[in-house]
Amino acid sequence: MSSDTDAPDLTRSGGIEKLREGTYGGFFVACAVISVLTTVAIFVTLLSDAVAFFAAVPYSEFLFATDWSPNTVGGRRIFGIVPLIFGTLMVTITAAFIALPVGTLTAIYLSEYASTRVRSILKPMLEVLAGIPTVVYGYFALVYITPLLEATLFPDISTFNALSASLMVGIMTIPMVSSISEDAMSAVPDSLRQAGYGLGATKYEVSTGIVVPASISGIASSYILAVSRAIGETMIVVVAMGSQARMPVIQEGLLGLPYFNPADALLDTGMTVTVAMVQIAGSDLTGGSVAYDAMFALGLALFVITLIMNILSNIVSERYREAY
Amino acid sequence: MATETGTKFQAVSRLRGTVFEYVSLGASVFGIVLLAALLVYVSIDAFDLANASPQWLLTYFLTLVVPLIGFCLYSADDRQITRRTGLAVGGGLVVSALVFTGVEALVGPIDRLSWPLVYLFVFVVPTTGYTIFAANQETVGGVGFGLLGRLLGGTALGLAVGVLFLVFDPQLWMLAYTFGLLPAALAVGYGQWRPDSGMSSKALPIGIVGLVVAVGLRQVVPMYPTDFIIYIWSVSMPIAAGGAALVAGQRGRTAALSVGLVPLAVAVAGGFAAAGFGLPSKTVLLVLVTAGVPVAVFISRTLTDGEGTIGLVLPILLAAGVLVGALIVDFAGFPAPDPWLDPSYVTSSPSRTPVDAGLYPAIVGSVIIIALVAVLSFVLGVGTAVFLEEYTAGSGWMGALTRLIQVNIANLAAVPSVVYGLLGLGLFANFLGFGFGTAVTAAFTLSLLILPITIISAQEAIRAVPDSLRQGSYGMGATRWQTTKNVVLPEALPGIFTGTILALGRAIGETAPLIMIGAATTVFSAPDSIWSKLSAMPMQIYAWANFPQAEFRYGVVAAGVMTLLIVLLGMNATAIILRNKSEGV
Repeated sequence: MSSDTDAPDLTRSGGIEKLREGTYGGFFVACAVISVLTTVAIFVTLLSDAVAFFAAVPYSEFLFATDWSPNTVGGRRIFGIVPLIFGTLMVTITAAFIALPVGTLTAIYLSEYASTRVRSILKPMLEVLAGIPTVVYGYFALVYITPLLEATLFPDISTFNALSASLMVGIMTIPMVSSISEDAMSAVPDSLRQAGYGLGATKYEVSTGIVVPASISGIASSYILAVSRAIGETMIVVVAMGSQARMPVIQEGLLGLPYFNPADALLDTGMTVTVAMVQIAGSDLTGGSVAYDAMFALGLALFVITLIMNILSNIVSERYREAY
Repeated sequence: MATETGTKFQAVSRLRGTVFEYVSLGASVFGIVLLAALLVYVSIDAFDLANASPQWLLTYFLTLVVPLIGFCLYSADDRQITRRTGLAVGGGLVVSALVFTGVEALVGPIDRLSWPLVYLFVFVVPTTGYTIFAANQETVGGVGFGLLGRLLGGTALGLAVGVLFLVFDPQLWMLAYTFGLLPAALAVGYGQWRPDSGMSSKALPIGIVGLVVAVGLRQVVPMYPTDFIIYIWSVSMPIAAGGAALVAGQRGRTAALSVGLVPLAVAVAGGFAAAGFGLPSKTVLLVLVTAGVPVAVFISRTLTDGEGTIGLVLPILLAAGVLVGALIVDFAGFPAPDPWLDPSYVTSSPSRTPVDAGLYPAIVGSVIIIALVAVLSFVLGVGTAVFLEEYTAGSGWMGALTRLIQVNIANLAAVPSVVYGLLGLGLFANFLGFGFGTAVTAAFTLSLLILPITIISAQEAIRAVPDSLRQGSYGMGATRWQTTKNVVLPEALPGIFTGTILALGRAIGETAPLIMIGAATTVFSAPDSIWSKLSAMPMQIYAWANFPQAEFRYGVVAAGVMTLLIVLLGMNATAIILRNKSEGV
């Protein structure tokens, strides 16, 4: 290449040469270490402010109080994570109802049914779903999906609601499920399929009876990753779901068992963990206040949850993988 | 499958399998179709197509779309494609008119949608995309769209460079260029010309000394030429010289001179003329150079090759189509739509009144952030990837470190972006004091956010370099760094660029981290330094989405979303073209 000017130094005795090798090697190590430092920095940043938060707010209030009002002017400020967890769960579960079945079916179609040509068109288009900025999804949910739901299915849906936000979160996570699951299904050796056909199974039976069970670890790990992505999703819910921490209205049902109507909660505004963080960030950033520290406590909770889910997904895909 | 007729296996029912196949096909396209419908609506809103009269649509269909499709079919020169296109365009007209009218009669009118629009989005746009794709495979189409891409890409690049000079000091740049980069480049050039002189290896020290001198001089020198002259000397001339050098090797000096001098002369003349028309002369100069030089190189190359030269008329064809269409619409007085996304939208500041609202400061903010992120994440990402792929061993403490980093990267990729925002807030904004919502804080935060993606894609690109090349280099006695620099990185560079651009596409749409570090939702003037508080396109969209007025919700924000998506599309297209180029070689 361009350095054919350098005369080859076969003895490799030059001090400059050694220095140069060492410098560049050190530079690359430094780059690599930065990625580890990032993790450490995230942990330290979150933890230091979270510790300050728990010095001011008892654990019991954070874990069990059923109200979240960090910026109340007059009354007492309450930091209870329960309604936020409820909101997050609601969005995540609803999104999972869309992303998991659709993503799995997509993966089966791509891996078992689609021709090479169709696959080469569908796969990039599915990736587009994951590439759209989430604030755009939020805007779609607020401006197009909610009015559509109001006009067709749910006339009493509120402007900001959990349902349309969850729908969009679900759409966004489809490619995550489909691409990882498809990789797992494509890794199932053809001999298994041939054996199935040899026994007289139809393509449907081979797909659902052989390929899916054989790749179940990959599918499960994709589910976990998709759910973890949905938990951490911020902009869609911020834009489309509003920001009112709410608890479900518990009703007395059959046999005195308490229950709540999920439709009531879905059609109304709510607040997730991420929304609560963004809301505090909109009012107070300089630090020092309890609300500021609360943001980091929530961040820590989010970080730990997603980290655990990520590790879990790794374990599932490693431990339960069928080795071929 | 196993349903041979005449045996007793024929009892196997195909129904369940067929239903399952179509259900899963439906699932595969469910998300895509929904997103496509939403994109159609947002473009209808952004360009106000709901108010476009059928005559207006027909005029532009005839003057713009039909010639374009015609060009593509001429280039593709394939009977089957022509027949399919004709069928889709002609049959689609009938189908969309009938089906849409039928649906409207049964269900009732659909908001902001008419059958010409349905025809446009369901048949014309996909068919045009298909023919463009088909034409691009052939020489004539390749030439035409290559020229068009260079025009558009060059213009975007020129605008981006102009935006960067809003923040970075042009006078410092001039000194740095004059004393550092130019001598270093000359040294490299001389070294290539006279390999014995060993000048190439002296380029780096020369450049560093020059840069130090430049920074020192910036404090001392009191007088500078005007910005216009600075741009000619230190931006336009090197680009023109680069273009000329590219051509000179293959096509001789005359071609090189014309490729270098013609765009330069046009640009300077255009710059002076622009001042007369009240346009920003510096921006015009930059755009004309960044678009002109690649175009000149491309034209020169095509003319020398002599293949598919007819394709060069494509931009003229399209420009003429727009012009003729505009004339007809104006002359006949067809009611034209009043798009929200128009030149004034991208050049004016945000406003409380929807009609005046613009995205300019947010666009500038996004460009600056992305430029910084590109540099930071490229250096960090490539450095880490080189370490992980070239410098580590499989075992020992190095191996353990490698595995640790690898696991760590995978985990970082799954951390929610809002947590990165907290990192930026706690570490960069508060602890290190980079300021709330400044370009520096935003750039550092977003670089860390996309770092896992950059690293992983760079690793893949480096891994794709065949091992035989490395062994060859080592066999010649090259050191590890020499192998990396001379063999691995040049081979892997297109792949690395592709991955980095895709990762930057992720960064440009991120909003949550920007909110957490305190980026402004709305700023009314473009930032003037990397330390000033700025906004970005997604931040502005977020701010506007909360406005209750319908003009904002369905107009201004739609235009913002469209701008963001167009920028993303451009970046992804660049990445894909780069990838195809590198795979094609």
